[in-house]
Amino acid sequence: MTELLIKNACVFDPLNGIRGDIMDIAIRDGRIVDSVRDGSEVIDASGFLTLPGGIDSHSHVCGTKVNFGRYMSPEDMRAGRTARRGKMHVTSGYYVPTTYGNSYRYSTMGYTTVLEGAMAPLEARHTHEEFNATPHQDMLANTLFDGNWSIMEAVHAKDVKRAAAIVAWTLSSVRGFAIKLTNPGGTEAWGWGEDLTSIRDPVPNFNVTPAEIISTMISANELLHLPHSVHLHCNNLGKPGNYATTLETFGLVPDLNNNRQTLYATHVQFHAYGGSTWRDICSKADEITKSVNARPQIVMDMGQIMFGRTMTMTADGPMEFNLYCLHHNKWSNHDVELETGSGIIPVLYSKKSLVNCVMWAIGLELALLTKNPYQCLLATDNPNGAPFVKYPEIIGLLMSKRYRDEECSTLNNGFEQRTSISSLDREMDWNEIAIITRAGQARALGLAAEGKGHLAPGAEADLAIYPIRCDDVDPATEYRNVVEGFQKTRFTIKRGRVVARDGDVIVEGANATFWVNPTVPDEHNVANDPEFVKKFEEYYTVRMGNYPVQDVYLPRGRCIKTEADL
Amino acid sequence: MRVILEAKARKKPFLPVEAESIIPRNFLKGTDITVYEGNKERRLEDLFWIFVEGTAVTPEKIEVVLKGDTSRVKRIGEYMDAGKMTIAGDVGMHCGNFMSGGEIEIFGNADAWLGREMRGGYILCHGNAGHYCASGYRGEKTGMRGGRVEVLGNAGDYCAEYLTGGEVHIHGSCGDMAGVEMKGGQFIIEGDATRPCGNMKDGTCMIFGTVHQMLPTFERTGIQELPDRKVKMTVYKGDIANRGKGVMMVKETVRPDE
Repeated sequence: MTELLIKNACVFDPLNGIRGDIMDIAIRDGRIVDSVRDGSEVIDASGFLTLPGGIDSHSHVCGTKVNFGRYMSPEDMRAGRTARRGKMHVTSGYYVPTTYGNSYRYSTMGYTTVLEGAMAPLEARHTHEEFNATPHQDMLANTLFDGNWSIMEAVHAKDVKRAAAIVAWTLSSVRGFAIKLTNPGGTEAWGWGEDLTSIRDPVPNFNVTPAEIISTMISANELLHLPHSVHLHCNNLGKPGNYATTLETFGLVPDLNNNRQTLYATHVQFHAYGGSTWRDICSKADEITKSVNARPQIVMDMGQIMFGRTMTMTADGPMEFNLYCLHHNKWSNHDVELETGSGIIPVLYSKKSLVNCVMWAIGLELALLTKNPYQCLLATDNPNGAPFVKYPEIIGLLMSKRYRDEECSTLNNGFEQRTSISSLDREMDWNEIAIITRAGQARALGLAAEGKGHLAPGAEADLAIYPIRCDDVDPATEYRNVVEGFQKTRFTIKRGRVVARDGDVIVEGANATFWVNPTVPDEHNVANDPEFVKKFEEYYTVRMGNYPVQDVYLPRGRCIKTEADL
Repeated sequence: MRVILEAKARKKPFLPVEAESIIPRNFLKGTDITVYEGNKERRLEDLFWIFVEGTAVTPEKIEVVLKGDTSRVKRIGEYMDAGKMTIAGDVGMHCGNFMSGGEIEIFGNADAWLGREMRGGYILCHGNAGHYCASGYRGEKTGMRGGRVEVLGNAGDYCAEYLTGGEVHIHGSCGDMAGVEMKGGQFIIEGDATRPCGNMKDGTCMIFGTVHQMLPTFERTGIQELPDRKVKMTVYKGDIANRGKGVMMVKETVRPDE
């Protein structure tokens, strides 16, 4: 039995309504408890800001496409090099670092849980192997269903139960966590040489529309009672004028769940463009947030971009091809058999580029115009918008109008007429920052019930203690201190163990991988369905028996069981 | 001031020495310098006999002379900005990386990556140079940006890859893919070359020997006489496949089918 007492912590725990109280936190065997015995180990937080461990609800850090980003950019491995030190492995890379690089940097920023934004089911093994090499964060994998042939056939037949059954079998086979739809139908259509321009265009050969796929998957998700909602990357990403598609998509979403949202719309910044070409692009963040403010069933994340060099990687192959046509730099494209695809290109977000400045402003507008902070979470779609190491700067921007104004004055002049960023006075407080970096994520992912994102007794003892004294620091003016404070925790505690201290990781990690296993009645088990089995035999390069990920790939797997209503 | 470093005999002479600290500027403060031999940090005097003649107050007045077996000493002259370095024998990989000023003279052969991503200064190699002479680095889109590299012998494959500025002059022949992805600068090959200048965007390449397997994506634009050399050169524009505006001048070509 290991016990730990954290004294004099200035705690913000939004899910339990604690706002800046100075209190002690007792930890026993990796969980928060009411009290511990005298003589247990004590950490003096000395009034520093103490939050539940950070949760990133959309990040690309593990898997084939991330690794292909590494292949493609050997030059990135010249940056961010650190030598082996203590328990820390060698790391290198800036926007696509090594897995240990990702893990250490997240950990020193106080992040203890990360959701991998897109895992192709067929390539799940690689993702899980990299999860094991990202040892300081509990990992979860969004599983791609956007171009799944069997799903599209079920959608065409308007058979929600069959779609749910296929999702259940696939998630439990590949140890996935949630349904991810990336440009639903679009990548598959592109594979046949077509491009979908709206959610009402039919996917060739399957005769279903993206709208039908989204609606069916939302219903299927609720039938299976999955902890997370459908996680959607809308159609038409990065096209001027795409806000209309986004609004139309939001209009499809019913409110089906009392505990959480019904749709998680990811990196909405890339989906909030007005205008018709890159020349007249403008922000439609006001329209998007108006829609979200009126729909509690939707949660989004910012998809903030930050200026600098990075790599974009997504399962949205056609979008990456369009970007490649603009940049003529490196490009890779990948097709995943009956499931999905992906594309990767490097980008440079520049302050000289009007388009990039508008994009930068839209992300911030989304966060500032959304009334309920639980509905717009902080993420950069790492590394697409910016590497996650930029999160502290984004926190600074959200907390300080002055910081935003200073940044705006360094940008391309034309962008202020196209956005409303300079007119927004809102400055977030510590509680709201705690919501958009952990509590909101925990609720949206359905992980609060698993003890993530809050500090009530029974919760997992994941904490981040930042060297910030909330009473002494005025974030509106002293934003540099805030940014610096969020870059390096004083202590990061994972399952009751101090894993990082002052920017150094000090132990070998032992993370868990969360996955869901929806229990489906036998008559709905697609493994016994001759048509589904035939699909495997005819089209896959893998036999159905070899498809499921073996337990050996998840040495510390944590299964969340659900009962399906089929 | 002259600093003479004479390599001592090593037990394992094949182990590379990472000697990016051997540049003239670092000797202003004495010879208390460390280098890595394999993964072990060593003091300079463990690996070299050190002789210092005279004094200097600016790096421009410092000459570093390396003698003995330096063929496995890597990264000599990395980020060098002033002064002179003379290498009596062969030199290991990555000599003169990122060099921005001063002069390096090599009397033996240079291994791969000589003058990689160079910004300025002058490198003269009396022997042969290895692969990727005066080139960029893996994945990088910009290679050598300025300065001058002269090789009196031959150069290996991918010489002047991603050349963006400055001048590369090879007196012998080049291997495969010389000047591939060139974006600027001047590249002169006195000898032969194979498949030169693929995907060239801009810059000038002159080949006074024979070109083997001339790429078909270059457009012939005319003939130009070079009066100082008294030769007629065929002028090509390319690489058309990359919408390039580079100029390649060739004395003789041998097509793959000839």
